[in-house]
Amino acid sequence: MNTIILDSITKSFNGFTAVDNLSLEVPAGSIYGFIGPNGSGKTTTIRMIMNIFYPDSGNIQIFGEPHRETHTDRIGYLPEERGLYKKMKVRELLKFYSELKSGRSDLKEIDRWLEKMELSDWGNKKVDTLSKGMSQKVQFIATVVSKPDLIILDEPFSGLDPVNTNNLLTAMLDLQKQGATIIFSTHDMGTAEKVCDYIFMIHKGKKVLDGTLAEIQNKYGTDTLKIRCENKAAGLASIDGVRKVHDFGQIQELRLTPDSDHQVILKEIMRSNTLLSFEIMKPSLHDIFVRIADTREDSHV
Amino acid sequence: MYKVFRLALREYIAAVKTKGFIIGLVMLPIFMSGSIIAMALLKDHVDTRARHIVVIDETQQLGQVLVEAAEKRNSEQIFDEESGEQNQPEYLIDLQEPEPDLQLQMSRLSERIRNAEIHAFLYIGAAAIHPSVDMENASINYHSESAALDDVRGWLRDPINNHLRKLRLEDAGIDESQIPDLFAWSWIDAKGLLTLDEDGNIVDAVASNELQSIAVPLIMVMLMFMMSMMGAMPQLSAVMEEKTQRIVEVILGSITPFQFMLGKILGGLAVALTSTLVYVGGGVLFMQYRGFEAFIPYDILPWFFVNLVILLFMLGALMTSLGSVANDAKDAQSLSFPAMFPMMIPMFVMFPVLKEPLSTFATWLSLIPPFTPMVMILRLAAPVSIPAWQPWAGLVGVILFTLLVVWGGARIFRAAILMQGVPLKFSNILRWMTKG
Repeated sequence: MNTIILDSITKSFNGFTAVDNLSLEVPAGSIYGFIGPNGSGKTTTIRMIMNIFYPDSGNIQIFGEPHRETHTDRIGYLPEERGLYKKMKVRELLKFYSELKSGRSDLKEIDRWLEKMELSDWGNKKVDTLSKGMSQKVQFIATVVSKPDLIILDEPFSGLDPVNTNNLLTAMLDLQKQGATIIFSTHDMGTAEKVCDYIFMIHKGKKVLDGTLAEIQNKYGTDTLKIRCENKAAGLASIDGVRKVHDFGQIQELRLTPDSDHQVILKEIMRSNTLLSFEIMKPSLHDIFVRIADTREDSHV
Repeated sequence: MYKVFRLALREYIAAVKTKGFIIGLVMLPIFMSGSIIAMALLKDHVDTRARHIVVIDETQQLGQVLVEAAEKRNSEQIFDEESGEQNQPEYLIDLQEPEPDLQLQMSRLSERIRNAEIHAFLYIGAAAIHPSVDMENASINYHSESAALDDVRGWLRDPINNHLRKLRLEDAGIDESQIPDLFAWSWIDAKGLLTLDEDGNIVDAVASNELQSIAVPLIMVMLMFMMSMMGAMPQLSAVMEEKTQRIVEVILGSITPFQFMLGKILGGLAVALTSTLVYVGGGVLFMQYRGFEAFIPYDILPWFFVNLVILLFMLGALMTSLGSVANDAKDAQSLSFPAMFPMMIPMFVMFPVLKEPLSTFATWLSLIPPFTPMVMILRLAAPVSIPAWQPWAGLVGVILFTLLVVWGGARIFRAAILMQGVPLKFSNILRWMTKG
């Protein structure tokens, strides 16, 4: 069963099409990663799922039903821009958000989350005394404390240190185990690769990628050669079959043309250079993202 | 509806639990009635230093009368009846002959006033007794540093005019003693209308006084104004802040923009009604305690509360929608001025309406929806009977108008609340209202 079905939705603002004929199915219980460059339409898509914006055309189904206002009671939403009432105390604020979402508040659940996020000592402090990272964790708790079936997190890790990022990831995986469907948008491709069951990329309002990481990578094939040479990147770009060279200093990543043979290229490298190590690999999500989003890159598959 | 009330409760608690609210609740009436209280407290604290007044009397017949009148006043009227302490200044009249160069003489006296040697000087023209004979020389001029507000000038009026009348009668050969009460003033008492009691007996009219005629309508309208400032005006900047601090999107993840707007309006309404109940309740108890129960307009209070609620709803919708349009404090500032029109116009026309509540102007203004709540209350509280259909017609009109404002405001709110940095233009507001 799908938690969300977007069927050819389009949304424009003053003649600018932010989301263009987008279709997407989010299976229940999955973690779905939304990626895309800034201004590509991620937040607009999320806002339509949240019923904050209405699509100009197309249909949205949530929990197997046409979208309606009451569905948002079962959706936890962490917006990209954080906003908390600064003069409220943390526990009061969480109680308020929980009541606003579900009509009830479970103080034990609030305390459990505060403890889990290492914020127990801050429950009776005002929000404006918290650090940015703490505020972000409070906002995350506010999103999940009412036990929603669908959790939408827009850039949940921005501004968090690695320890807190791991805490949040662990919490997300726990929520998934408890049956929640999670959508999160991120610019951290490494996290998306590690955590997401499915990845969806939107670019200029259109869907450009959708599927599991393996499915996406398979579309691109093994067109990447990671090597380490004595003379580093010297002469690599001029080898036939090499489309692009990414020189990372100690390591060079070569993107090959679709019809090239890895063996032939490796032989060619060894003619003029001493090859210390090599790996034939599929492109990373980061690489795929850059290929699509960076207009200076060659066209993707 | 639960979510709306929950948000309204948060707004209410956030406003009421602050020290500022409590202080404001106490201080507001003190500030508003500050001048009246100050006047009452300072009533007996007048400057009792003697006032030296020089009189130049071209008629040669009035100066001495003023000297005698001042002496009589100084001996009889400047002491407190109970304590015997002097509570008013002495008036000391010095007569001076007019000099050939009158301008120079008056210039010297002016300089003496500036040097605080004398308080004022009075010039009585030569033809003051019979002005119709020689208008040019009939003027009586009082010169001091603050002549218009000077108590001495007011006091001089009676002895001068009384003696002028006597002189004119003498010139006409009429013996004053033959006409009793020749100079007696007659006052016209203000009375209300006669009524019938339950048994059909005619009940005499009661005296109409200033408290009933002016104070009650003024207090009611001022209270409406203050409550609008307290309950609706802050919504503009509050919504703007929640928009710029990105709190709005978090809230919109749980409730619709309309519910959000409604919650804000109800929160502000609750804050204003709390204050109103304190003031009205306190006022009624005070009046009962002091024996002024007859002046409490019980029949108008329901109209007052209904109109206040509608006014706050209308202004709340206006302020929240304008707050959603504002991008920063500067925008909010520039929007607050036009947003206050529904409150300011009735304040500007308060006295003309109060003077003639049945005039065409007052009637029409009270039926124009944005102004109805305040102007209609002003007319209802005035000591005249306005046609019974008018408050009802005004009520229907203002309810319909308020629904229109809420509808239009909600469309603006929904479209603008998540837009950051969109320039503040009337055309944008109009587009959001018409197209959503």
